Amino acid sequence: MILNLDKNKKTVSDNYDAVIIGGGPAGLTAAIYLGRARIKTLVIEEMIPGGQAATTVRLENYPGFPEGIGGAELGSLMEKQAKNFGADIIYDNVIDVDFKNEEKIIKLNKREIRSKIVIIASGAKPRKMHVPGAEEFEGKGISYCATCDGPLFRDKNIAIIGGGNSAIEEAIFLLRFVKSIIIVQDLPKLTAEKILEERLIKHKNVKLTFNNKILSINGEKEIKSISVEKTNSKKKMDIPAEGIFIYIGYIPNTDYLKGHIELDKFNYVKTNENLETNIKGVFAAGDVCKKTLRQVATAVGDGAIAAFMATKYLENEGG
Amino acid sequence: MGILSQEDSDYLKKELEKITNNVIIEFFSTDNKDKCEQCDNIRAIMKEIMDLTDKVSLKEFNIDKDKEKAEKYNIKMAPVLIFNNKDNGNIKFYGVPSGYEFSSLIEDIMDIGTGNIEFDEGVEEKIKAIDEDVNIMVFVTPTCPYCPAAVRTAHKFAMINPKIKADMIESYEFPEIADKYKVQGVPRVIINEKDGFEGALEQEKFLEKIIENL
Ligand SMILES: Cc1cc2nc3c(=O)[nH]c(=O)nc-3n(C[C@H](O)[C@H](O)[C@H](O)COP(=O)(O)OP(=O)(O)OC[C@H]3O[C@@H](n4cnc5c(N)ncnc54)[C@H](O)[C@@H]3O)c2cc1C
Repeated sequence: MILNLDKNKKTVSDNYDAVIIGGGPAGLTAAIYLGRARIKTLVIEEMIPGGQAATTVRLENYPGFPEGIGGAELGSLMEKQAKNFGADIIYDNVIDVDFKNEEKIIKLNKREIRSKIVIIASGAKPRKMHVPGAEEFEGKGISYCATCDGPLFRDKNIAIIGGGNSAIEEAIFLLRFVKSIIIVQDLPKLTAEKILEERLIKHKNVKLTFNNKILSINGEKEIKSISVEKTNSKKKMDIPAEGIFIYIGYIPNTDYLKGHIELDKFNYVKTNENLETNIKGVFAAGDVCKKTLRQVATAVGDGAIAAFMATKYLENEGG
Repeated sequence: MGILSQEDSDYLKKELEKITNNVIIEFFSTDNKDKCEQCDNIRAIMKEIMDLTDKVSLKEFNIDKDKEKAEKYNIKMAPVLIFNNKDNGNIKFYGVPSGYEFSSLIEDIMDIGTGNIEFDEGVEEKIKAIDEDVNIMVFVTPTCPYCPAAVRTAHKFAMINPKIKADMIESYEFPEIADKYKVQGVPRVIINEKDGFEGALEQEKFLEKIIENL
Protein backbone atom coordinates (compact mmCIF):
# COMPACT_ATOMS: atom_id res chain seq x y z
CA MET A 1 0.00 0.00 0.00
CA ILE A 2 1.43 3.37 -0.93
CA LEU A 3 0.41 6.25 1.24
CA ASN A 4 1.32 9.41 -0.53
CA LEU A 5 -0.98 12.12 0.71
CA ASP A 6 -1.05 15.84 1.22
CA LYS A 7 -0.16 16.87 -2.30
CA ASN A 8 -0.81 20.48 -3.18
CA LYS A 9 -2.21 21.20 0.24
CA LYS A 10 0.80 23.22 1.26
CA THR A 11 0.82 26.95 0.84
CA VAL A 12 4.34 28.00 0.05
CA SER A 13 5.95 31.39 0.13
CA ASP A 14 7.38 33.18 -2.90
CA ASN A 15 10.88 33.58 -1.52
CA TYR A 16 13.38 30.89 -0.67
CA ASP A 17 17.07 30.59 -0.03
CA ALA A 18 17.20 27.41 -2.10
CA VAL A 19 14.89 26.03 -4.76
CA ILE A 20 15.35 22.50 -6.06
CA ILE A 21 13.78 21.70 -9.39
CA GLY A 22 12.73 18.03 -9.39
CA GLY A 23 11.76 15.68 -6.57
CA GLY A 24 13.64 12.58 -7.70
CA PRO A 25 16.43 10.94 -5.69
CA ALA A 26 18.89 13.77 -6.48
CA GLY A 27 16.52 16.59 -5.58
CA LEU A 28 15.20 14.98 -2.42
CA THR A 29 18.70 14.18 -1.19
CA ALA A 30 19.73 17.79 -1.74
CA ALA A 31 16.63 18.82 0.22
CA ILE A 32 17.62 16.61 3.15
CA TYR A 33 21.09 18.17 3.31
CA LEU A 34 19.83 21.75 2.88
CA GLY A 35 17.11 21.21 5.45
CA ARG A 36 19.67 20.00 7.96
CA ALA A 37 21.79 23.07 7.21
CA ARG A 38 18.69 25.06 8.21
CA ILE A 39 18.39 26.63 4.80
CA LYS A 40 14.91 27.64 3.70
CA THR A 41 14.32 25.13 0.92
CA LEU A 42 11.60 24.39 -1.60
CA VAL A 43 11.38 21.34 -3.85
CA ILE A 44 9.23 21.70 -6.96
CA GLU A 45 8.08 18.40 -8.45
CA GLU A 46 5.66 18.06 -11.32
CA MET A 47 4.63 14.43 -10.94
CA ILE A 48 5.59 12.09 -8.12
CA PRO A 49 8.28 11.92 -5.44
CA GLY A 50 11.07 9.59 -6.49
CA GLY A 51 11.07 10.56 -10.15
CA GLN A 52 12.09 7.81 -12.51
CA ALA A 53 12.97 5.56 -9.62
CA ALA A 54 9.28 5.57 -8.70
CA THR A 55 8.40 4.12 -12.09
CA THR A 56 10.18 0.86 -11.44
CA VAL A 57 8.72 -1.84 -9.27
CA ARG A 58 11.87 -2.84 -7.44
CA LEU A 59 15.37 -1.46 -7.03
CA GLU A 60 17.89 -4.13 -6.15
CA ASN A 61 21.19 -2.28 -6.36
CA TYR A 62 20.57 0.60 -4.01
CA PRO A 63 22.59 -0.12 -0.85
CA GLY A 64 20.87 -0.68 2.47
CA PHE A 65 18.01 -2.79 1.14
CA PRO A 66 19.28 -6.36 0.76
CA GLU A 67 15.85 -7.56 -0.32
CA GLY A 68 15.43 -4.62 -2.70
CA ILE A 69 12.99 -1.78 -2.25
CA GLY A 70 9.98 -0.60 -4.22
CA GLY A 71 10.87 2.45 -6.29
CA ALA A 72 7.76 4.36 -5.25
CA GLU A 73 8.29 3.42 -1.64
CA LEU A 74 11.86 4.70 -1.72
CA GLY A 75 10.58 7.93 -3.29
CA SER A 76 8.02 8.56 -0.60
CA LEU A 77 10.49 7.70 2.16
CA MET A 78 12.95 10.24 0.74
CA GLU A 79 10.15 12.79 0.57
CA LYS A 80 9.22 12.16 4.19
CA GLN A 81 12.84 12.50 5.24
CA ALA A 82 13.21 15.82 3.38
CA LYS A 83 10.03 17.14 5.00
CA ASN A 84 11.22 16.01 8.43
CA PHE A 85 14.16 18.36 8.08
CA GLY A 86 11.96 21.27 7.10
CA ALA A 87 11.98 21.35 3.30
CA ASP A 88 8.77 22.45 1.59
CA ILE A 89 7.53 20.46 -1.39
CA ILE A 90 5.00 21.58 -3.95
CA TYR A 91 3.60 19.78 -6.95
CA ASP A 92 3.88 22.10 -9.90
CA ASN A 93 5.68 22.41 -13.18
CA VAL A 94 8.65 24.70 -13.79
CA ILE A 95 8.09 26.21 -17.23
CA ASP A 96 10.83 28.80 -17.38
CA VAL A 97 13.64 30.35 -15.37
CA ASP A 98 15.47 33.64 -15.23
CA PHE A 99 19.07 33.38 -14.02
CA LYS A 100 20.24 36.80 -15.21
CA ASN A 101 20.39 38.44 -11.81
CA GLU A 102 21.75 37.37 -8.49
CA GLU A 103 18.23 36.60 -7.38
CA LYS A 104 17.04 33.67 -9.48
CA ILE A 105 13.46 33.49 -10.71
CA ILE A 106 11.68 30.17 -11.19
CA LYS A 107 8.49 30.39 -13.21
CA LEU A 108 5.63 27.98 -12.54
CA ASN A 109 2.30 27.72 -14.29
CA LYS A 110 0.64 30.43 -12.29
CA ARG A 111 3.30 31.97 -10.10
CA GLU A 112 6.93 32.89 -9.76
CA ILE A 113 9.31 31.96 -7.01
CA ARG A 114 12.50 33.81 -6.14
CA SER A 115 15.55 32.17 -4.65
CA LYS A 116 19.18 32.83 -3.87
CA ILE A 117 20.31 29.50 -5.24
CA VAL A 118 18.85 26.85 -7.53
CA ILE A 119 19.65 23.15 -7.77
CA ILE A 120 18.59 21.65 -11.06
CA ALA A 121 17.56 18.03 -10.49
CA SER A 122 14.92 17.56 -13.15
CA GLY A 123 16.30 14.22 -14.31
CA ALA A 124 15.47 12.54 -17.56
CA LYS A 125 12.63 10.86 -19.39
CA PRO A 126 12.42 7.92 -21.78
CA ARG A 127 13.71 8.53 -25.26
CA LYS A 128 10.89 8.09 -27.74
CA MET A 129 11.26 5.91 -30.76
CA HIS A 130 10.91 7.70 -34.08
CA VAL A 131 10.01 5.20 -36.79
CA PRO A 132 6.77 4.89 -38.79
CA GLY A 133 4.05 3.57 -36.51
CA ALA A 134 5.76 4.46 -33.24
CA GLU A 135 3.83 7.61 -32.56
CA GLU A 136 0.57 6.26 -33.89
CA PHE A 137 0.58 3.26 -31.56
CA GLU A 138 1.80 5.06 -28.45
CA GLY A 139 -0.69 4.25 -25.69
CA LYS A 140 -2.31 1.82 -28.12
CA GLY A 141 0.10 -1.05 -27.76
CA ILE A 142 3.36 0.82 -27.35
CA SER A 143 4.35 1.75 -23.83
CA TYR A 144 7.32 3.44 -22.19
CA CYS A 145 6.29 2.42 -18.66
CA ALA A 146 6.06 -1.28 -17.88
CA THR A 147 5.16 -0.62 -14.27
CA CYS A 148 2.16 1.43 -15.34
CA ASP A 149 0.89 -0.52 -18.31
CA GLY A 150 2.27 -4.05 -17.81
CA PRO A 151 -0.94 -5.42 -16.29
CA LEU A 152 -2.83 -4.48 -19.48
CA PHE A 153 -0.79 -6.96 -21.53
CA ARG A 154 -1.96 -10.13 -19.84
CA ASP A 155 -1.28 -13.23 -21.95
CA LYS A 156 0.08 -11.22 -24.83
CA ASN A 157 3.18 -11.88 -26.87
CA ILE A 158 5.25 -8.77 -26.49
CA ALA A 159 8.52 -7.31 -27.64
CA ILE A 160 10.92 -5.17 -25.69
CA ILE A 161 13.11 -2.83 -27.63
CA GLY A 162 16.43 -2.27 -25.89
CA GLY A 163 18.93 -4.36 -23.97
CA GLY A 164 20.14 -2.19 -21.11
CA ASN A 165 19.34 -2.37 -17.41
CA SER A 166 15.88 -0.83 -17.64
CA ALA A 167 14.88 -3.04 -20.57
CA ILE A 168 15.87 -6.26 -18.82
CA GLU A 169 14.59 -5.28 -15.37
CA GLU A 170 11.24 -4.38 -16.80
CA ALA A 171 11.18 -7.53 -18.93
CA ILE A 172 11.53 -9.60 -15.79
CA PHE A 173 8.66 -7.67 -14.23
CA LEU A 174 6.48 -8.11 -17.32
CA LEU A 175 6.92 -11.88 -17.21
CA ARG A 176 4.32 -11.87 -14.42
CA PHE A 177 1.66 -10.92 -16.91
CA VAL A 178 2.60 -11.68 -20.48
CA LYS A 179 2.74 -14.92 -22.45
CA SER A 180 6.10 -14.39 -24.10
CA ILE A 181 8.78 -11.79 -24.58
CA ILE A 182 11.23 -11.15 -27.33
CA ILE A 183 14.07 -8.76 -26.59
CA VAL A 184 14.97 -6.78 -29.67
CA GLN A 185 18.44 -5.33 -29.28
CA ASP A 186 20.43 -3.22 -31.72
CA LEU A 187 23.86 -4.37 -30.50
CA PRO A 188 25.43 -7.86 -30.63
CA LYS A 189 24.87 -8.32 -26.88
CA LEU A 190 22.87 -7.07 -23.93
CA THR A 191 24.34 -4.16 -21.99
CA ALA A 192 22.41 -4.91 -18.79
CA GLU A 193 24.05 -6.16 -15.60
CA LYS A 194 25.03 -9.83 -15.87
CA ILE A 195 22.81 -10.82 -12.95
CA LEU A 196 19.78 -9.46 -14.79
CA GLU A 197 20.70 -11.28 -17.97
CA GLU A 198 21.09 -14.57 -16.10
CA ARG A 199 17.74 -14.17 -14.46
CA LEU A 200 16.02 -13.29 -17.70
CA ILE A 201 17.26 -16.15 -19.83
CA LYS A 202 16.18 -18.73 -17.27
CA HIS A 203 12.64 -18.15 -18.46
CA LYS A 204 11.53 -20.45 -21.26
CA ASN A 205 9.18 -17.91 -22.77
CA VAL A 206 11.93 -15.36 -23.44
CA LYS A 207 13.78 -15.00 -26.70
CA LEU A 208 16.50 -12.59 -27.72
CA THR A 209 17.42 -11.16 -31.07
CA PHE A 210 20.49 -9.02 -31.75
CA ASN A 211 21.80 -6.58 -34.34
CA ASN A 212 18.44 -5.17 -35.29
CA LYS A 213 17.75 -1.77 -36.70
CA ILE A 214 14.07 -0.97 -36.23
CA LEU A 215 12.41 0.14 -39.46
CA SER A 216 8.76 0.38 -38.54
CA ILE A 217 5.99 -0.79 -36.27
CA ASN A 218 3.14 -2.34 -38.17
CA GLY A 219 -0.50 -3.11 -37.72
CA GLU A 220 -3.92 -1.78 -38.54
CA LYS A 221 -6.00 -1.26 -35.43
CA GLU A 222 -3.62 -3.25 -33.30
CA ILE A 223 0.10 -3.86 -33.41
CA LYS A 224 1.08 -6.92 -35.40
CA SER A 225 4.82 -6.77 -35.93
CA ILE A 226 8.07 -4.88 -35.93
CA SER A 227 10.05 -4.61 -39.15
CA VAL A 228 13.79 -4.75 -38.66
CA GLU A 229 16.92 -4.77 -40.75
CA LYS A 230 19.86 -6.88 -39.63
CA THR A 231 22.78 -4.52 -39.14
CA ASN A 232 25.31 -6.99 -40.58
CA SER A 233 23.58 -8.75 -43.43
CA LYS A 234 21.08 -5.94 -44.18
CA LYS A 235 18.45 -8.65 -44.39
CA LYS A 236 14.96 -7.44 -43.58
CA MET A 237 12.48 -9.36 -41.45
CA ASP A 238 9.33 -9.01 -39.39
CA ILE A 239 9.12 -9.83 -35.70
CA PRO A 240 5.55 -10.56 -34.57
CA ALA A 241 4.38 -8.70 -31.44
CA GLU A 242 1.06 -7.75 -29.86
CA GLY A 243 2.55 -5.11 -27.62
CA ILE A 244 5.86 -3.26 -27.41
CA PHE A 245 7.76 -1.76 -24.51
CA ILE A 246 10.51 0.63 -25.46
CA TYR A 247 13.68 1.23 -23.40
CA ILE A 248 16.16 2.87 -25.73
CA GLY A 249 17.70 5.41 -23.42
CA TYR A 250 16.78 8.74 -21.96
CA ILE A 251 16.69 12.41 -22.74
CA PRO A 252 17.24 15.11 -20.12
CA ASN A 253 14.40 17.30 -18.88
CA THR A 254 16.05 20.58 -19.81
CA ASP A 255 13.67 22.26 -22.28
CA TYR A 256 12.87 24.94 -19.73
CA LEU A 257 16.59 25.71 -19.34
CA LYS A 258 17.46 26.36 -22.96
CA GLY A 259 19.18 29.71 -23.38
CA HIS A 260 19.55 30.14 -19.64
CA ILE A 261 22.37 27.76 -18.86
CA GLU A 262 25.09 25.83 -20.64
CA LEU A 263 24.01 22.42 -21.96
CA ASP A 264 26.03 19.82 -23.85
CA LYS A 265 25.11 18.72 -27.36
CA PHE A 266 22.66 16.12 -25.99
CA ASN A 267 21.09 18.81 -23.81
CA TYR A 268 22.48 17.54 -20.51
CA VAL A 269 23.53 20.25 -18.04
CA LYS A 270 27.28 20.86 -18.00
CA THR A 271 28.87 21.07 -14.56
CA ASN A 272 32.31 20.92 -13.00
CA GLU A 273 33.19 18.25 -10.43
CA ASN A 274 31.54 20.34 -7.70
CA LEU A 275 28.32 20.30 -9.71
CA GLU A 276 28.46 24.03 -10.34
CA THR A 277 27.02 25.18 -13.64
CA ASN A 278 28.26 28.14 -15.66
CA ILE A 279 25.87 30.37 -13.68
CA LYS A 280 26.88 31.38 -10.18
CA GLY A 281 24.47 30.09 -7.58
CA VAL A 282 23.00 27.45 -9.91
CA PHE A 283 23.98 23.82 -9.35
CA ALA A 284 22.85 20.59 -10.99
CA ALA A 285 22.54 17.04 -9.71
CA GLY A 286 21.50 13.59 -10.89
CA ASP A 287 20.44 12.30 -14.27
CA VAL A 288 20.06 15.78 -15.72
CA CYS A 289 23.87 16.22 -15.65
CA LYS A 290 26.41 15.14 -18.19
CA LYS A 291 27.84 12.06 -16.44
CA THR A 292 28.79 8.43 -16.98
CA LEU A 293 26.41 6.45 -14.79
CA ARG A 294 22.79 7.35 -14.21
CA GLN A 295 21.52 5.44 -11.20
CA VAL A 296 19.85 6.17 -7.88
CA ALA A 297 23.14 5.68 -6.03
CA THR A 298 24.89 8.30 -8.17
CA ALA A 299 21.92 10.70 -8.14
CA VAL A 300 21.89 10.62 -4.36
CA GLY A 301 25.63 11.33 -4.24
CA ASP A 302 25.17 14.28 -6.59
CA GLY A 303 22.35 15.64 -4.47
CA ALA A 304 24.59 15.68 -1.42
CA ILE A 305 27.47 17.39 -3.23
CA ALA A 306 25.25 20.02 -4.84
CA ALA A 307 23.62 20.82 -1.50
CA PHE A 308 27.01 21.05 0.19
CA MET A 309 28.35 23.42 -2.45
CA ALA A 310 25.14 25.45 -2.35
CA THR A 311 25.43 25.79 1.43
CA LYS A 312 28.99 27.03 1.09
CA TYR A 313 27.94 29.48 -1.59
CA LEU A 314 25.18 30.87 0.62
CA GLU A 315 27.60 31.25 3.52
CA ASN A 316 30.09 33.15 1.40
CA GLU A 317 27.95 35.17 -0.98
CA GLY A 318 24.53 35.33 0.54
CA GLY A 319 25.57 36.10 4.13
CA MET B 1 -0.41 -7.34 10.99
CA GLY B 2 -2.55 -4.82 9.19
CA ILE B 3 -2.11 -3.63 5.64
CA LEU B 4 -0.46 -0.39 6.68
CA SER B 5 2.78 -0.01 8.58
CA GLN B 6 2.45 1.27 12.14
CA GLU B 7 3.92 4.59 11.07
CA ASP B 8 1.52 5.09 8.17
CA SER B 9 -1.37 4.01 10.31
CA ASP B 10 -0.46 6.55 13.03
CA TYR B 11 -0.16 9.25 10.40
CA LEU B 12 -3.46 8.30 8.84
CA LYS B 13 -5.23 8.31 12.18
CA LYS B 14 -4.16 11.92 12.71
CA GLU B 15 -5.33 12.88 9.23
CA LEU B 16 -8.68 11.21 9.73
CA GLU B 17 -9.20 13.17 12.95
CA LYS B 18 -9.72 16.25 10.78
CA ILE B 19 -12.96 14.79 9.41
CA THR B 20 -16.06 16.67 10.50
CA ASN B 21 -18.82 15.17 8.33
CA ASN B 22 -19.59 11.47 8.38
CA VAL B 23 -18.51 9.73 5.22
CA ILE B 24 -20.85 7.05 3.96
CA ILE B 25 -19.36 4.44 1.69
CA GLU B 26 -21.31 1.62 0.12
CA PHE B 27 -19.80 -1.57 -1.13
CA PHE B 28 -21.43 -3.80 -3.72
CA SER B 29 -20.11 -7.33 -3.86
CA THR B 30 -21.31 -10.05 -6.22
CA ASP B 31 -22.25 -13.73 -6.04
CA ASN B 32 -19.89 -14.42 -8.91
CA LYS B 33 -16.92 -15.93 -7.06
CA ASP B 34 -14.38 -15.21 -9.81
CA LYS B 35 -15.34 -11.58 -9.90
CA CYS B 36 -15.37 -11.36 -6.15
CA GLU B 37 -11.86 -12.69 -5.71
CA GLN B 38 -10.85 -9.25 -4.46
CA CYS B 39 -13.91 -8.61 -2.31
CA ASP B 40 -12.21 -9.67 0.90
CA ASN B 41 -9.32 -7.43 0.05
CA ILE B 42 -11.64 -4.47 -0.25
CA ARG B 43 -13.33 -5.32 3.05
CA ALA B 44 -9.91 -5.53 4.69
CA ILE B 45 -8.84 -2.15 3.35
CA MET B 46 -12.06 -0.54 4.52
CA LYS B 47 -11.79 -2.18 7.92
CA GLU B 48 -8.29 -0.83 8.31
CA ILE B 49 -9.61 2.68 7.72
CA MET B 50 -12.67 2.28 9.92
CA ASP B 51 -10.52 1.01 12.77
CA LEU B 52 -8.85 4.42 12.77
CA THR B 53 -11.96 6.61 12.71
CA ASP B 54 -15.63 6.35 13.55
CA LYS B 55 -16.52 8.99 10.96
CA VAL B 56 -16.34 6.56 8.05
CA SER B 57 -18.99 3.89 7.67
CA LEU B 58 -19.44 1.06 5.21
CA LYS B 59 -22.66 -0.63 4.15
CA GLU B 60 -22.51 -3.76 2.09
CA PHE B 61 -24.88 -4.69 -0.72
CA ASN B 62 -24.92 -7.31 -3.39
CA ILE B 63 -25.25 -6.40 -7.03
CA ASP B 64 -27.20 -9.60 -7.78
CA LYS B 65 -29.62 -9.23 -4.88
CA ASP B 66 -30.00 -5.49 -4.36
CA LYS B 67 -30.83 -4.95 -8.00
CA GLU B 68 -32.96 -1.90 -7.56
CA LYS B 69 -30.32 -0.04 -5.65
CA ALA B 70 -27.65 -1.13 -8.07
CA GLU B 71 -29.71 0.20 -10.92
CA LYS B 72 -30.39 3.47 -9.20
CA TYR B 73 -26.69 4.15 -8.90
CA ASN B 74 -26.03 2.88 -12.38
CA ILE B 75 -23.64 0.19 -11.18
CA LYS B 76 -22.23 -1.74 -14.09
CA MET B 77 -20.26 -4.38 -12.28
CA ALA B 78 -18.87 -5.44 -8.93
CA PRO B 79 -16.93 -5.20 -6.71
CA VAL B 80 -17.39 -1.47 -6.42
CA LEU B 81 -17.07 1.13 -3.66
CA ILE B 82 -19.35 4.14 -3.86
CA PHE B 83 -19.24 7.38 -1.98
CA ASN B 84 -22.80 8.06 -1.14
CA ASN B 85 -23.10 11.08 1.07
CA LYS B 86 -25.60 12.78 -1.19
CA ASP B 87 -27.57 9.67 -2.19
CA ASN B 88 -26.26 10.22 -5.67
CA GLY B 89 -23.56 7.57 -5.87
CA ASN B 90 -21.63 9.42 -8.54
CA ILE B 91 -18.15 8.67 -7.19
CA LYS B 92 -17.02 5.10 -7.68
CA PHE B 93 -14.05 2.79 -7.39
CA TYR B 94 -14.50 -0.36 -9.49
CA GLY B 95 -12.04 -2.92 -8.15
CA VAL B 96 -9.62 -2.69 -5.26
CA PRO B 97 -8.27 0.76 -4.52
CA SER B 98 -4.88 -0.69 -3.67
CA GLY B 99 -1.33 0.28 -4.56
CA TYR B 100 -1.31 3.91 -5.56
CA GLU B 101 -5.08 4.11 -5.62
CA PHE B 102 -5.23 3.65 -1.88
CA SER B 103 -4.11 7.27 -1.61
CA SER B 104 -6.96 8.29 -3.91
CA LEU B 105 -9.43 6.56 -1.63
CA ILE B 106 -8.04 8.28 1.46
CA GLU B 107 -7.92 11.68 -0.22
CA ASP B 108 -11.52 11.29 -1.39
CA ILE B 109 -12.52 10.45 2.19
CA MET B 110 -10.66 13.53 3.45
CA ASP B 111 -12.25 15.81 0.85
CA ILE B 112 -15.76 14.62 1.55
CA GLY B 113 -15.20 14.37 5.29
CA THR B 114 -13.80 17.88 5.65
CA GLY B 115 -15.70 19.55 2.81
CA ASN B 116 -12.41 21.13 1.93
CA ILE B 117 -11.85 20.33 -1.74
CA GLU B 118 -9.04 22.16 -3.47
CA PHE B 119 -9.21 23.36 -7.04
CA ASP B 120 -6.89 25.30 -9.28
CA GLU B 121 -7.90 28.89 -9.82
CA GLY B 122 -11.07 29.37 -11.84
CA VAL B 123 -11.87 25.67 -12.27
CA GLU B 124 -14.48 25.22 -9.56
CA GLU B 125 -16.96 27.73 -10.99
CA LYS B 126 -16.66 26.24 -14.47
CA ILE B 127 -17.26 22.71 -13.21
CA LYS B 128 -20.29 23.76 -11.22
CA ALA B 129 -21.70 25.47 -14.29
CA ILE B 130 -21.84 22.28 -16.36
CA ASP B 131 -25.51 21.42 -16.77
CA GLU B 132 -25.29 18.24 -18.81
CA ASP B 133 -24.66 14.64 -17.87
CA VAL B 134 -21.00 13.77 -17.91
CA ASN B 135 -19.72 10.23 -17.53
CA ILE B 136 -16.04 9.92 -16.80
CA MET B 137 -14.22 6.60 -16.67
CA VAL B 138 -10.62 6.57 -15.50
CA PHE B 139 -8.85 3.30 -16.24
CA VAL B 140 -5.91 2.56 -13.95
CA THR B 141 -3.56 -0.16 -12.76
CA PRO B 142 -2.47 -0.35 -9.11
CA THR B 143 1.19 0.10 -10.07
CA CYS B 144 0.70 3.24 -12.13
CA PRO B 145 2.18 6.24 -10.34
CA TYR B 146 0.51 8.74 -12.64
CA CYS B 147 -3.00 7.37 -12.26
CA PRO B 148 -4.18 8.77 -8.92
CA ALA B 149 -3.89 12.32 -10.26
CA ALA B 150 -6.43 11.52 -12.99
CA VAL B 151 -8.73 9.64 -10.63
CA ARG B 152 -8.68 12.42 -8.09
CA THR B 153 -9.41 15.16 -10.60
CA ALA B 154 -12.39 13.23 -11.96
CA HIS B 155 -13.66 12.47 -8.47
CA LYS B 156 -13.24 16.06 -7.28
CA PHE B 157 -15.27 17.27 -10.24
CA ALA B 158 -18.00 14.80 -9.31
CA MET B 159 -17.95 15.98 -5.70
CA ILE B 160 -19.09 19.46 -6.65
CA ASN B 161 -21.43 18.66 -9.53
CA PRO B 162 -23.99 15.83 -9.24
CA LYS B 163 -24.35 15.70 -13.04
CA ILE B 164 -20.80 14.43 -13.25
CA LYS B 165 -20.28 10.73 -12.67
CA ALA B 166 -16.69 9.63 -12.18
CA ASP B 167 -15.54 6.02 -12.06
CA MET B 168 -12.13 4.63 -11.32
CA ILE B 169 -11.81 1.27 -13.07
CA GLU B 170 -9.02 -1.12 -12.17
CA SER B 171 -8.12 -2.51 -15.57
CA TYR B 172 -6.48 -5.73 -14.42
CA GLU B 173 -9.59 -6.77 -12.51
CA PHE B 174 -12.00 -5.83 -15.30
CA PRO B 175 -10.19 -6.89 -18.47
CA GLU B 176 -13.39 -7.17 -20.53
CA ILE B 177 -14.28 -3.54 -20.08
CA ALA B 178 -10.64 -2.44 -20.43
CA ASP B 179 -10.54 -4.34 -23.73
CA LYS B 180 -13.83 -2.85 -24.85
CA TYR B 181 -12.40 0.63 -24.51
CA LYS B 182 -9.05 -0.52 -25.92
CA VAL B 183 -7.11 0.48 -22.86
CA GLN B 184 -3.43 -0.22 -23.47
CA GLY B 185 -1.96 2.66 -21.56
CA VAL B 186 -2.98 4.19 -18.27
CA PRO B 187 -4.37 6.44 -17.00
CA ARG B 188 -6.85 6.29 -19.90
CA VAL B 189 -9.79 8.62 -19.53
CA ILE B 190 -13.04 8.05 -21.41
CA ILE B 191 -15.60 10.85 -21.42
CA ASN B 192 -19.22 10.15 -22.35
CA GLU B 193 -18.22 6.89 -24.03
CA LYS B 194 -15.86 8.75 -26.32
CA ASP B 195 -12.14 8.27 -26.39
CA GLY B 196 -10.93 10.97 -24.09
CA PHE B 197 -7.20 11.04 -23.49
CA GLU B 198 -4.28 9.27 -21.92
CA GLY B 199 -2.22 10.70 -19.09
CA ALA B 200 -2.68 12.92 -16.08
CA LEU B 201 -3.81 16.36 -17.14
CA GLU B 202 -4.07 19.50 -15.05
CA GLN B 203 -7.57 20.32 -13.85
CA GLU B 204 -8.04 23.03 -16.42
CA LYS B 205 -7.00 20.84 -19.37
CA PHE B 206 -9.12 17.97 -18.04
CA LEU B 207 -12.06 20.36 -17.93
CA GLU B 208 -11.39 21.40 -21.53
CA LYS B 209 -11.52 17.73 -22.58
CA ILE B 210 -14.86 17.32 -20.84
CA ILE B 211 -16.28 20.31 -22.64
CA GLU B 212 -14.95 19.04 -25.97
CA ASN B 213 -16.77 15.77 -25.44
CA LEU B 214 -20.12 17.11 -24.26
C1 LIG C 1 12.42 1.83 -15.68
C2 LIG C 1 13.61 2.31 -14.90
C3 LIG C 1 14.27 1.43 -14.07
C4 LIG C 1 15.37 1.86 -13.31
N1 LIG C 1 15.99 0.98 -12.47
C5 LIG C 1 17.00 1.41 -11.68
C6 LIG C 1 17.61 0.54 -10.73
O1 LIG C 1 17.23 -0.63 -10.61
N2 LIG C 1 18.62 1.01 -9.95
C7 LIG C 1 19.05 2.32 -10.04
O2 LIG C 1 19.94 2.71 -9.29
N3 LIG C 1 18.50 3.18 -10.95
C8 LIG C 1 17.50 2.75 -11.76
N4 LIG C 1 16.94 3.61 -12.68
C9 LIG C 1 17.54 4.94 -12.84
C10 LIG C 1 17.13 5.90 -11.74
O3 LIG C 1 15.73 5.85 -11.61
C11 LIG C 1 17.60 7.29 -12.04
O4 LIG C 1 18.98 7.31 -12.22
C12 LIG C 1 17.27 8.27 -10.90
O5 LIG C 1 15.87 8.27 -10.66
C13 LIG C 1 17.75 9.66 -11.23
O6 LIG C 1 17.35 10.54 -10.23
P1 LIG C 1 17.22 12.10 -10.48
O7 LIG C 1 16.72 12.67 -9.21
O8 LIG C 1 18.48 12.62 -11.03
O9 LIG C 1 16.18 12.27 -11.67
P2 LIG C 1 14.68 11.72 -11.85
O10 LIG C 1 14.48 10.48 -11.12
O11 LIG C 1 14.46 11.74 -13.32
O12 LIG C 1 13.79 12.84 -11.16
C14 LIG C 1 13.60 14.10 -11.74
C15 LIG C 1 12.29 14.67 -11.27
O13 LIG C 1 12.14 15.99 -11.76
C16 LIG C 1 10.82 16.21 -12.15
N5 LIG C 1 10.80 17.26 -13.16
C17 LIG C 1 11.31 17.23 -14.42
N6 LIG C 1 11.10 18.39 -15.06
C18 LIG C 1 10.44 19.19 -14.18
C19 LIG C 1 9.93 20.51 -14.26
N7 LIG C 1 10.08 21.26 -15.37
N8 LIG C 1 9.26 21.01 -13.19
C20 LIG C 1 9.11 20.27 -12.06
N9 LIG C 1 9.58 19.01 -11.93
C21 LIG C 1 10.24 18.48 -12.98
C22 LIG C 1 10.37 14.87 -12.71
O14 LIG C 1 8.96 14.73 -12.63
C23 LIG C 1 11.09 13.90 -11.80
O15 LIG C 1 10.30 13.49 -10.72
C24 LIG C 1 15.83 3.20 -13.43
C25 LIG C 1 15.16 4.08 -14.28
C26 LIG C 1 14.05 3.65 -15.01
C27 LIG C 1 13.35 4.63 -15.89
